[in-house]
Amino acid sequence: MSVGPALLRRLGWAAALSLAATALGAASLSRGGGAEAARPAHAPEPDGPGPAFDTRPVARAALRRRTGWGFRLALSASAFGVLVLAFAVGVLLLRGVGVWGNNIPHVWGFDLANYAWWIGVANAASLFAAVLVLRRHGLRTAVNRFAEAAALAAVVAAAFYPVLHLGRPWLAYWVVPYPSVQGFWPQFGSPLVWDLWGILSHVLVTSTFWFVGLIPDLATLRDRAAVRGRVAAARAYGLFALGWRGSVVHWHRHQAAYRMVAALVLPLLLSAQTVVALEFATTVVPGWHQARLVPHIVLTGLPSGLGAVLALAAVLRRTLDLDDLIDDLDMDLLSRLTAAAALASLAVYAHEALAGLVLEDAATREATAARLFGPLAPAWFGAVALVALLPQALWWKRLRTAAWATVPIGVLAAAGVWLDRYSLVVGGVLRERMPEARPLYVPTVDEWALFGGTAALFALALLVFARFLPVVSMFETRHEETEHEREEEER
Amino acid sequence: MSAGEAGLMAEFREAGPMLDALRAARAAGWRALDAFAPHPVPEAAEAMGVRAAPVAWIAVAAGLAGAAITYAAQWWIQVQDYPVNVGGRPLHAWPVFLPSAYIVGVLWACLAALAGMLWLNGLPRLHHPVFGARGFHRASEDRYFLFLDARDPLYDRARAEAMLRAHAPARVSAVPAE
Repeated sequence: MSVGPALLRRLGWAAALSLAATALGAASLSRGGGAEAARPAHAPEPDGPGPAFDTRPVARAALRRRTGWGFRLALSASAFGVLVLAFAVGVLLLRGVGVWGNNIPHVWGFDLANYAWWIGVANAASLFAAVLVLRRHGLRTAVNRFAEAAALAAVVAAAFYPVLHLGRPWLAYWVVPYPSVQGFWPQFGSPLVWDLWGILSHVLVTSTFWFVGLIPDLATLRDRAAVRGRVAAARAYGLFALGWRGSVVHWHRHQAAYRMVAALVLPLLLSAQTVVALEFATTVVPGWHQARLVPHIVLTGLPSGLGAVLALAAVLRRTLDLDDLIDDLDMDLLSRLTAAAALASLAVYAHEALAGLVLEDAATREATAARLFGPLAPAWFGAVALVALLPQALWWKRLRTAAWATVPIGVLAAAGVWLDRYSLVVGGVLRERMPEARPLYVPTVDEWALFGGTAALFALALLVFARFLPVVSMFETRHEETEHEREEEER
Repeated sequence: MSAGEAGLMAEFREAGPMLDALRAARAAGWRALDAFAPHPVPEAAEAMGVRAAPVAWIAVAAGLAGAAITYAAQWWIQVQDYPVNVGGRPLHAWPVFLPSAYIVGVLWACLAALAGMLWLNGLPRLHHPVFGARGFHRASEDRYFLFLDARDPLYDRARAEAMLRAHAPARVSAVPAE
């Protein structure tokens, strides 16, 4: 198998281009669908007034037959990016991890940096969604659904890396305890085995959280599709709606289950981020052997997920005509949350610099100095600027509801957290008690193609989700509006 | 009970009248009845005498069982069946068994919350007679329904209809038996 470096380089560029096109396409998502969605909501009911809510635009957006060119372009671009991902994985399987830039001391590079970054995005998005459900916050109606969907897509993207970085990924099933004929069992003391259970649980719990909230909305889509005479669509939605008929008894148990799963997401997320941090902390590398890594990874993960949700919310409300359902107050609160998470990250970075440069032992001080002022200084300072400082602009009220500000700030905060993970994984081993100069880790084109490919997979998953499923929780919107109405009557 | 009839369905435009009708029916002694809404109506569930606690108990029990089974499996593998001496460390090194036990416990609890909710609700189910009611597709959009089941010993077409009509429904219709 010979793959020319030129071809690989071109593919890397193609992945990058397809990503850019995806972002552009997402921005113009469903103008075609919008043509239908932009129609007046519905004719006044002939038989008198009904409830205050109207969630029909959401269902209409999911059931539209045609999509705009922007959506199709974005879909093709991200599908192409997924092909690049398949190619990068194929090259890795055929030629081995030698196609990556990893080498001693940089045994981890993109594989772990990207994994930790995707997990961080997923965690912050799930954490946000779970807290909203548990607090019955009004914002949940607007952003919960796609926060959950973004979390799910990010976990799937993250799950590639721990398998692929094994060296012989086709033997990944060895970490599963199964009664093999050789009589071998996996070692449960190994963080690699913790990873298996951590990622498996993360994928399943995140999908359960998303699906439990989706069941009643799938029933709505089933009924709307049936009314429009679209039998195949009604059957497809009906299959996953599991025969939901909206009995008040069922609702009661459904709410209990939804809140239970949301409550279970919290301990899972803490453990998922903590296990990532522990994998560093259990080594004897001075820059990594730190108890402070656990809060560092959990807290700096927040701006990435919140930033991604913020950017998605701004794009979706604009392109799917959902200004009523995701209103200015929602965007305001989401922006302030992002800014608050950035403030917490600022404290984390200040502590890192203070502890690493002044308070720790000599080996750690040297490692931190190499990381902060060595060849990877731009990664660390870039992370501080994008994660901790830039989102502070969102304390300015006018920017919080302006899509031109929230979309780039959200995306750049997520990018900044990526720089942080890169600085930690690659910069963390620049000095590990060894004074001699060793070659710096440089990611290869194959690694970039893999990273771009997982990002394209993330985009593809979200595009398919926005195309076929309600992007706003319809039943929560109805619930919220009814409660609101009752409160006003009582006043 | 009339032949070929599963029961009587009343359609309401708002949750309030549906709730009043439901409470009146429960007070009159009806047991085989159900109400439908496009969003959770906790008061209606209360009037039906349903509690959601069993869902949580199922989840908690499954979570504890999952964690215990995972811990026991690790202990059996690492201490009994496949002991490996790693630098003289104890075979039963319990702290390293905790991450997997904890995470798998959370997973079991989560899946049990979904499965338990579906089991208690009698779902998934391919079809149900109430889907045959006129206009029932709006139960998932913006209408509220009250269904009086013909299997209730109190069921009498005329009496049931009079009781439903007392709460000014948008429509009362018979639901055909399957």
